[in-house]
Amino acid sequence: MSHTETEIPTPKTNPTQEPEVLKAERSNLGMLRPDHNKSVIIDWLTTVDHKKIGIMYGAIALFFLLVGGLEALIIRTQLAVPENDLISAQRYNQLFTMHGTTMIFLAVMPLNAAFFNFLVPLQIGARDVAFPRINSLSLWTFVAGAIVINFGWLLQALEVMGLFEAKGATAGMTDLVPAGGWFGYAPLTSTDFSGAGTDFWIMGLQILGIASLSASMNFIVTIINMRAPGMKMMRLPVFTWMTLVTSLLIVFAFPAITVALGQLMFDRVWNTNFFNVAGGGQPILWQHLFWIFGHPEVYILVLPAMGMISEVLPTFSKKPLFGYSIVVFSGAVIGFLGFAVWSHHMFTTGLGKVATAAFSLLTMAIAVPTGVKIFNWVGTLWGGRVRFSAPMIFALGFVWMFMMGGFSGIMHAAAPADAQQQDSYFVIAHFHYVIMGGIFLALVSGIYYWMPKVFGKMWVGNLSTWVAVLVVVGLNVTFFPMHFLGLLGMPRRTHTYLEGFGWETYNMVCTIGAYVLAVGILLLLVDMVRCIRKGTPAGNDPWNARTLEWSTTSPPQAYNFAKTPVIPARDALWEHKYGPENRRITYEEDHGHGVHMPSQSWMPLIASIGFIPLGLGMSMMQAGVPFMGYVAIFGLVVVCVGLALWALEGPGGYHLHPEEG
Amino acid sequence: MTTFVTKGPVAEAQYDLFMLTVWVTFGIFLLVGSVYIVAIIKFRERPNDDRPMPSQGHGNPLVEIGLIGASILLLVVIAVPTLKAIWFTHDTPDDPESYLGTWYSGEGLAEEEAENPLIVKVIGYQWWWAFEYPQLGITTANEMVIPAGKVVHLELRSVDVIHSFWLPRIAGKVDLIPGRTNSMWIQAGDNFARWKEKQALQGEGPELREQYATYLEEEIHDYYYGQCAEFCGESHARMLFRATVVGDDAFAAWVASEKEGHRPPDNKTWEEWYAVYDKNPDALTGDLNEGLKIFMDRGKCATCHVVKGNPRALGVAGPNLTNVGSRLSIAAGWLNHHTEEAVIDPEQQYENFYKWIDQTNVVKPGNLMWKANGGGIGELTDENGDLALLTDDEIHKLSLYLQSLQ
Repeated sequence: MSHTETEIPTPKTNPTQEPEVLKAERSNLGMLRPDHNKSVIIDWLTTVDHKKIGIMYGAIALFFLLVGGLEALIIRTQLAVPENDLISAQRYNQLFTMHGTTMIFLAVMPLNAAFFNFLVPLQIGARDVAFPRINSLSLWTFVAGAIVINFGWLLQALEVMGLFEAKGATAGMTDLVPAGGWFGYAPLTSTDFSGAGTDFWIMGLQILGIASLSASMNFIVTIINMRAPGMKMMRLPVFTWMTLVTSLLIVFAFPAITVALGQLMFDRVWNTNFFNVAGGGQPILWQHLFWIFGHPEVYILVLPAMGMISEVLPTFSKKPLFGYSIVVFSGAVIGFLGFAVWSHHMFTTGLGKVATAAFSLLTMAIAVPTGVKIFNWVGTLWGGRVRFSAPMIFALGFVWMFMMGGFSGIMHAAAPADAQQQDSYFVIAHFHYVIMGGIFLALVSGIYYWMPKVFGKMWVGNLSTWVAVLVVVGLNVTFFPMHFLGLLGMPRRTHTYLEGFGWETYNMVCTIGAYVLAVGILLLLVDMVRCIRKGTPAGNDPWNARTLEWSTTSPPQAYNFAKTPVIPARDALWEHKYGPENRRITYEEDHGHGVHMPSQSWMPLIASIGFIPLGLGMSMMQAGVPFMGYVAIFGLVVVCVGLALWALEGPGGYHLHPEEG
Repeated sequence: MTTFVTKGPVAEAQYDLFMLTVWVTFGIFLLVGSVYIVAIIKFRERPNDDRPMPSQGHGNPLVEIGLIGASILLLVVIAVPTLKAIWFTHDTPDDPESYLGTWYSGEGLAEEEAENPLIVKVIGYQWWWAFEYPQLGITTANEMVIPAGKVVHLELRSVDVIHSFWLPRIAGKVDLIPGRTNSMWIQAGDNFARWKEKQALQGEGPELREQYATYLEEEIHDYYYGQCAEFCGESHARMLFRATVVGDDAFAAWVASEKEGHRPPDNKTWEEWYAVYDKNPDALTGDLNEGLKIFMDRGKCATCHVVKGNPRALGVAGPNLTNVGSRLSIAAGWLNHHTEEAVIDPEQQYENFYKWIDQTNVVKPGNLMWKANGGGIGELTDENGDLALLTDDEIHKLSLYLQSLQ
């Protein structure tokens, strides 16, 4: 291919030489920094490298994708036939609660975060994110939150094995796994109606919120401040743009759920009356706060996916994104309008005519910028040279499936029609088309597109075709019949149903589809393992791509770019390869400093670990387990000590001198 | 439970709007989808493709603006009927034909209610429904009865968590939220004027009225399925309800029967029965008397349940059991004992009562009737305080007694 002829300077440093050259230094506290550590485990635990952090986010997210998927399979198996008693009602409620919570907070968000971490510094020509240690804190705090929120499963497993019993000091430890739905509507989550699981859920989500907020601020600062020279805002790759918008959404949306969870915790632990009707509280307040977070959350999930698609389609069409600025602008408009439509989740709560009308119209309005994106993606294909490589197949599938999810969204926006659809299987069909057919396919497309960059290995064979067929067929067979189930009156969140409403066949078909989908996802993982283990070297730019990350090595060196690139145009690499002479990427002179690298640190990990006793202690204190208040205080002390030592140890840092060949 | 076959103006308006959104989006789907497919096929890369590099254009502002304008226009096509439907489905219409005074032939209607529609207070409990008819002074549970062709105004409240009232063929859902009262209106079947409009008929006259009555009887009188649509805890799946839609006379007869309530077995009055019960309960024999005794003492049923007529069965924590033997289902619609023609199958009915009392916690896990801080039938004790659940024989007699409440 022609791109191999271009003269892109490639860093040639042999990374295995570095640890011998460099010795770990002492921090301001006199402690040895964990830099250049020979132990692989310590290296990964204390790393501040955005690429390693991104890989860990990805691995953990894929693990939770399997957990959430397994939960979904049990749910579908239970619903395969009417009046099934495979699992109990409460177990079912736990499963759908944790399925939703896991998929949103522990699978899709961190998988998006994996891409943010790995790609954003590479796409903007930066050495790392703005705050590498905060990046490490975000990762480990996310892990802490995931542990707290899933802790109930462990206790429940022990209970089933007879190793744990709710009596004596632990008498309050009943109802161990969250079962109030991922939306946690008051007053079902009050102490009158739910047990310890709800406390784990509250504390876990609160900790996950800290992880998301700190990561988001990091990315906002990184994207605004760390761009290479010439990388103007309107030259940013669209994925980075969508990362910026998503990060802003997180910063503005998460405070709402932080407040709501705080109020709920106060209600439960200290008997306040935010949602307690008997004490003058208002359960509807929870719904407003939750959805002011919850609706932007939908866009927090989907905008990165749109960003990925906006990278993949141009690469495999050999054309720039059609209407770059309008795609970016509509992404921002979606983000903004996303804060003005929360009550469309509440059309049946008795909002009154005017509010219903306003939210109905605003929800329809949000279809316009979403439609604009679809038009522009089609416009990108038009007149291009469409190449059906694996990433492209999934991206093309995304556009189709996302479009269908969008159409049922318009049906919901018509509030009176929504009165029939709300809380029925129609809603489940709608948002699984958006999340599975949309976001998930985009993420798979992103995995196929960027994995060669991440691991430096190219895909082996054509398993991706099977993955695509099974996933797309599986999710259509699973979710399309649910439209009909909903309109035939089947409510959601029901652990079983009576025979004779015409739901049996549809349910059986959905369940079969779910298993097909599961096989597809397993094959995806097989393909990923094969790529990592048996892949051939990918080279810098295996797809003939357009953006900056493809100009450096695969996998990129710790320092990303040996010299800071100077960006002359949008689609920098493409212009470099095919554009006129004056659009070549040039590189800043190194005046002998080399590349300044951030030091690794134990402190983010220590501070994050403190969140585990804090979260578990607060939860079990509510259940009346003795001394748990002290455990919570201990956790808080660990967090504070970790942060204080972090501040005192000083930023550190060292220089690398990538040699040029 | 389908929303496709509508049996009332509210569900119909909702369905019509839904179909409009379906057609509009289907049109867009065909248009965008076919352009999309054409683009993929027409511009695919061919083997040994040596055509020149595609033009690297960044888009066309006119095309963009045109498409945005077209999308907005299409949304207006949906938005205007949406607004109309919001207003139509929200406010209870003022329809003289639906005034209680116009059609209700029963006794005891207060004068000031004559120009109001029928009001039903719907109250959600974990996991059953109470239906109060304040204007008529009656309360029933899980199976509401409403007149055909008349506007009914519902006031929705909840005593514990959020529930949602959904009667798919008649109306979409509205939530029952603790601490506030929501309202909605439902109507099974069209009123006379709307029916005439649809049939393109005009005028008045007994013949038309008769035709209209036939329409109500043949198409609207029915047994409708409903269900709680908001997740409300452990047994949410088993919180169903039913609406029986009947003619005016049948409705009045039903109200009268609900008001009258029940007498004790052997055609005694309640004073006579309690006189014996208080002094010498052993003198009350026979399955029904035994069943009633268990209802009053061993089973503690009367603590939570009302049976109209019985002066000592006044508990309101559980469903009102007046005429429970006439209902086509028990356990909030979960245990059904009716044929397809909505006729009770007595054997199935007996089995359902038996199963419900015997395995309350299995039929509806987490339910208050089984465990209620010592007050449930899963916690019954003997004189020594040891657990002593109802025996098979006791459950048998209790079931027979409940079945007799018709």
